[in-house]
Amino acid sequence: MSSQRRPSGSLERLLPKIVLAPTTLAMVVCMYGFIVWTGALSFTKSRMLPQWDFTGFDQYERLFNNPRWDVALSNLAIFGVLFIAISLVLGLALAIFLDQKIRGEGAIRTIYLYPMAVSFVVTGTAWKWILNPGLGLEKLVRDMGFTDFEFRWLVEQDMAIYTIVIAAVWQSSGFVMAMFLAGLRGIDDSLIKAAQIDGASPTQAYWHVILPILRPAFFSAIVILSHIAIKSFDLVQALTGGGPGYSSDLPANFMYTFAFNRAQMGVGAASAMIMLFGVLAILVPYLYSELRGSNRD
Amino acid sequence: MARTTTSSRKTFNTVLAWSIGLLIFFPILWTILTSFKSEGQAIADPPLFFFFDWTLENYIAVQERSDYFKFLTNSLIIAGGSTLLGTLIAIPAAWSMAFVPSRRTKDILLWMLSTKMLPAVGVLYPIYLVFIELGLLDTRTGLVIVLMLINMPIIVWMLYTYFREIPSEILEAARMDGASLRSEILYVLTPMAIPGIASTILLNFILAWNEAFWTLNLTAAKAAPLTAFIASYSSPEGLFYAKLSAASTMAIAPILVLGWFSQKQLVRGLTFGAVK
Repeated sequence: MSSQRRPSGSLERLLPKIVLAPTTLAMVVCMYGFIVWTGALSFTKSRMLPQWDFTGFDQYERLFNNPRWDVALSNLAIFGVLFIAISLVLGLALAIFLDQKIRGEGAIRTIYLYPMAVSFVVTGTAWKWILNPGLGLEKLVRDMGFTDFEFRWLVEQDMAIYTIVIAAVWQSSGFVMAMFLAGLRGIDDSLIKAAQIDGASPTQAYWHVILPILRPAFFSAIVILSHIAIKSFDLVQALTGGGPGYSSDLPANFMYTFAFNRAQMGVGAASAMIMLFGVLAILVPYLYSELRGSNRD
Repeated sequence: MARTTTSSRKTFNTVLAWSIGLLIFFPILWTILTSFKSEGQAIADPPLFFFFDWTLENYIAVQERSDYFKFLTNSLIIAGGSTLLGTLIAIPAAWSMAFVPSRRTKDILLWMLSTKMLPAVGVLYPIYLVFIELGLLDTRTGLVIVLMLINMPIIVWMLYTYFREIPSEILEAARMDGASLRSEILYVLTPMAIPGIASTILLNFILAWNEAFWTLNLTAAKAAPLTAFIASYSSPEGLFYAKLSAASTMAIAPILVLGWFSQKQLVRGLTFGAVK
């Protein structure tokens, strides 16, 4: 019918595919093609520039024999677990709290999201001051009379990674809050009332009625947070520079150092591939469940 | 599901919410305050909050010493260029998926999104090598292309979710009235989608503006935007808090202002459409 009205009907039917194909192809081919390229590099002797002498898993061996990589990996584990757990708890608490009636909620919500909206490279300056033993928090508490108070994580090898956790939690909990708040707003008030009529206390109502409903929100928050964790780069770069020594390095910073400052392309590529598989381990189950979910509707 | 509460409870909640807000905002506020202090006052003991000699010397020093406006221009061109170019390419793609869906639409979308989830380090070397080959290293053109490519999945995804909210009956009605595809997109779809397109542009501008990984890795002196500039400024460990704060304030001010006047879009954009 429409083809009668439009002389160019067949073109118009093809048009949606014509406009979609180049974008998709460019994206998928570029990204996945480049990843294969990186994978290939990781099996070569490349240092400053690529050279195509294949050496098998040598670079991976060198990578895992490097104590610095061990530190980066265990830092990622500490950082990832703490960052995700604390952000979820704080975000949920803030969301439940903001779900009460509050004046100026829109403005509050924006302020809670600001840390996520501004670059950490920039806000890291203030954090350096806050965490600096001689200037910020430690000094403040000492001046209030608690002269024994110590808070010098930023300059302690064992503790520096926890300052990254603090900054990352600060950055993301508002964002998690917004996601949970959206979930809470979608819940019908009568559900709570029904639970309360059945004799549930408000805490019980939240625990047994609300939290299960929020499961999808938890799920997406965890996926987004874990991929933020693996990609984290600018936090370390801005706050500790990986120091003291290399005690607060994360894998992305490790790669940055080895790629450019040390001209170890093979090792860098190997570390990139390991990170990639880490992300895939999280991503594949997620995409799989998304796909299954979408087939149902 | 906002719960009903008594008015004293409401006041208490409001005060508490704003206190938490202040706590969260403190690092940003502190950066702004410090930027107006002299270097001595910036590390004064006890810390000075509002009662210090406000000065603009840091702003002048930052501009004179390191040509701040050059980096600002780079940031504007890179963030603006990659966002606009990306949106122009993404609109037809999102339109196609939202209004002429096929069996493969969901798959295509997931494949696209998956590229955004993969860590950037996985493609750093190839892009770096290609850039050397094409002479794009440390150029604004190069960064516009990379950031456009990196953020494209999010642009398409967001536009797609917004377009889906537009009832396709309206487009059909326009078609019945004899509108051509061109005028259908131009005069029916676009005006209705403007809030969505605006949110998308805003979010991507912010993402590109904040980008540190690619800007640090692919630029040196010539094309470096503000993030790279500040990162370089802060390397001699915290010696110039006040000047660094001034540079930082100038880098975040546009985002704070933009965000304040488009709160709804910001919230929706940062949560990838989860919050409406």
